[in-house]
Amino acid sequence: MKFHKKRASTKQEIPTASMPDIVFMLLLFFMVTTTLREVDVLVQYTLPEAEAIEKIENKRLVSYVWVGRDERIQVNDTIVPLEEIRSIMYQKRVELPNVIVSFRVDRNSNMGVVTDIQQELRKADARRINYSARLSSQ
Amino acid sequence: MVKLKNKKIAEAEIPTSSMADIAFLLLLFFLVATVIDVDTGIGMTLPEYQENPDENIVPLSKERLAALLINENGDVLLNGDVIAIPQIRENLTERITQKIELPKNKKLVVSVKTDRKTNYNLYIQALDQVKAAYFQVREAYANTKFGKTSIEDLTEEESNEVKEKIPIIISIAEPEQIK
Repeated sequence: MKFHKKRASTKQEIPTASMPDIVFMLLLFFMVTTTLREVDVLVQYTLPEAEAIEKIENKRLVSYVWVGRDERIQVNDTIVPLEEIRSIMYQKRVELPNVIVSFRVDRNSNMGVVTDIQQELRKADARRINYSARLSSQ
Repeated sequence: MVKLKNKKIAEAEIPTSSMADIAFLLLLFFLVATVIDVDTGIGMTLPEYQENPDENIVPLSKERLAALLINENGDVLLNGDVIAIPQIRENLTERITQKIELPKNKKLVVSVKTDRKTNYNLYIQALDQVKAAYFQVREAYANTKFGKTSIEDLTEEESNEVKEKIPIIISIAEPEQIK
């Protein structure tokens, strides 16, 4: 005589086949929403610290200008001479009317170079600027 | 015959359960490797460019103007008097508060002027103090008027009123000609 335990004939497994799909969806979401840093910064700089700082909500509007310790100016991917900033920024301004130019200037720079860039920006009519700064640690 | 029937054919399936692990690894990699760098800083608007700045000078009454000069030696002068950087905020909040109820053309104008050799960090520190003064007054106003401790809690209407009552007017002074 055979004793057979009565068991439900349906499978008791959780289907794992759709797991990769779910995870891939998550992966795709993160891949689409995150923006990788696209530019190589060629200058060395330390940002100044400040307290009353604001976040720039819309990252797409931001265009950066770096000024390094050696007072070299970088826009986009290259080091540029001061005279070229005007035409570059004018171009950006045409493409994006409310562009914000963010200054990433080394804290030990002189105001001279900053003033020069500002004058160029004024000529290019790209007048929304931002002095990039970190939140002070205290 | 019986023997042949029992012979099992090897299954040719790719194990899919480990796919999830692989995808998770990828996901984790992207989570860790992506830098969401939010730019923080002090926002400003530059004045319009003028060919001959001397021609279009609008004289400002002394009552309205707070002239901040940061010279190359690192001295900060507010309306001609030497002042320590942390004191700027205190000094300005008082003056901004006085002008809350005044019409638009009587609000305080902070003019910031620097020398070519002024240290950038010093300039940012001073500008930070000016901004902080404005934020402090805005916050105080929001607190007394709407009973909200933070500017961020305000509704759009309220926020607009605060902005209208306490506009941030910081003017970057025209650089002097290099002789």
